[in-house]
Amino acid sequence: MLTINKITFSSLVKREIFRFSKVAIQTIFAPLISTGLYLIIFSYSFQNREVTEYGIPYINFIVPGLILMSLIQNSFANTSSSLIGAKYNGIIIDFLLAPFSYIELSLGFMIGGIIRGMLVGSVTYLISIFFYGGSIAHPFLAVVFALLVSAVFSLFGIIAGLWSEKFDHVSIFSNFFITPLTFLSGVFYSVKGLPGIWGKLSLFNPVFYMVDAVRYAFVGQSDISPTFSALIISAFAVALLFLVTYLFKIGYKIKS
Amino acid sequence: MQTAIKFENVNKSYGKLQALAEINLNIKQGEFFGLLGPNGAGKSTLIGILGGLVNKDSGQITVLDKDIIANYRETKKSLGIVPQEITFDPYFTVRETLAIQSGYFGIKDNSDKIDELLQALSLEDKADIGPRQLSGGMKRRLLIAKALVHDPEIIVLDEPTAGVDVELRNSLWEYVLQLNEQGKTIILTTHYLEEAEALCDRIAILDQGRVVKVDSKENLINSIDKKVVQIKFATQTSQLESRLADFDFKIAAAGKEIEIETAKADLNKLLKIVNKFEAEVVDINIESAKLEDVFIKLTNLGGADN
Repeated sequence: MLTINKITFSSLVKREIFRFSKVAIQTIFAPLISTGLYLIIFSYSFQNREVTEYGIPYINFIVPGLILMSLIQNSFANTSSSLIGAKYNGIIIDFLLAPFSYIELSLGFMIGGIIRGMLVGSVTYLISIFFYGGSIAHPFLAVVFALLVSAVFSLFGIIAGLWSEKFDHVSIFSNFFITPLTFLSGVFYSVKGLPGIWGKLSLFNPVFYMVDAVRYAFVGQSDISPTFSALIISAFAVALLFLVTYLFKIGYKIKS
Repeated sequence: MQTAIKFENVNKSYGKLQALAEINLNIKQGEFFGLLGPNGAGKSTLIGILGGLVNKDSGQITVLDKDIIANYRETKKSLGIVPQEITFDPYFTVRETLAIQSGYFGIKDNSDKIDELLQALSLEDKADIGPRQLSGGMKRRLLIAKALVHDPEIIVLDEPTAGVDVELRNSLWEYVLQLNEQGKTIILTTHYLEEAEALCDRIAILDQGRVVKVDSKENLINSIDKKVVQIKFATQTSQLESRLADFDFKIAAAGKEIEIETAKADLNKLLKIVNKFEAEVVDINIESAKLEDVFIKLTNLGGADN
């Protein structure tokens, strides 16, 4: 169950990359437009505003959050649509008939999602350089955190894709989980500045730790300890990896 | 001969519906084995379990003596399953489809085998177009090529000629027979009984999730005691009809042709009656039972409720 054959595994990753590159307009360029618009609007509307908790310009504060948002959305979109698509057009049986181990399936789809997430995230960063200069306090940490977050949402996307019976079902995940959790995670504001209970509630939002960790990597400051955030994110990634591998093993909604 | 696939007490239910009940089957290496049964008999479920598309409830299946659950990586490499439904990854051309499929089975550079398959299945000139641009018959051939990229020992064809024209069907069977001669085990499910009769060495008949009979094709056909005697006369047969009260018969060609169904033991009796009848015989044709007769007798297609 836990063996990995290099060729089998890399073929799946290759297939995943091929899939999103063939529809690059909707998978790569479309997401860049929305993030580009966020950057333009926020940098224009809040050009003289400073985030008091951090003592930095607002645009520097939200760039890590915006990059993270596109990372999350695209990692999730890639695996969820790949799986629901495979179920919809029936080619899911290719993965069942072939000698894939369950961990190969989990990691293969996950890495496909990570690659698309990192690709869109990186281009978002490149665009953001025009808006805030492009400084990153801890570049290595930024990459590590981005990879971890991307892994978490790629895995979450696999679960959504397996669970969904129609394309519409995937949007339930986006609309009811990802969007609210992301918007309430402190992408646009510092949780430190939230009154009373609201700041505490944010601690139950896993995306908060992700935004906070990535922001630490970018600006060198954060609401809570980045080590703690890193632990939380890693724990999520590992738990989801186990869950996804288990779902492939039992053939959740793909085997009758 | 060694066993290619062994099904032992395999059970599968969907809710209350028992799709497979205590399936026991031994398929030998090198055999051309037929799996026949009416719709809903459980053929596709059985193949689904073999390929890992369906979870069985209980029982054991081994492929070349390896358990399909414990050793799934090995057993999947020994199996080439051509599914009934035509589905393709829309992102790849014909050649890319076969290359990525080879990769799934752990084969890095498989272009020689891919060329061989493209040629054998007359797809060379379609190698660089997408599967959506292929005709139905070509899609079916690509599906077969896909199942063969890893050169499996056992080839399973689930209704491979549904919707395929006659010419293509023949060339397809020629190729599959060729593979069988090379020593590959072939398992075929089909509802074209002529096809099974022409190709299979041994046949299992499934009905309502049970194996009702497994035997060689010859034994199965011989198990039906039936001869159909067609006689063409120069003149009307109306006088003969009254003497054939003990037989089932049909009249055709404006009363000049008669078709009589009889058990072998009654052949002599029949011929004597015909002999006494003095009209001139133009032609006689005697047919033995067909696989279809066996099929109808053994499955619920022949039951009183049909």
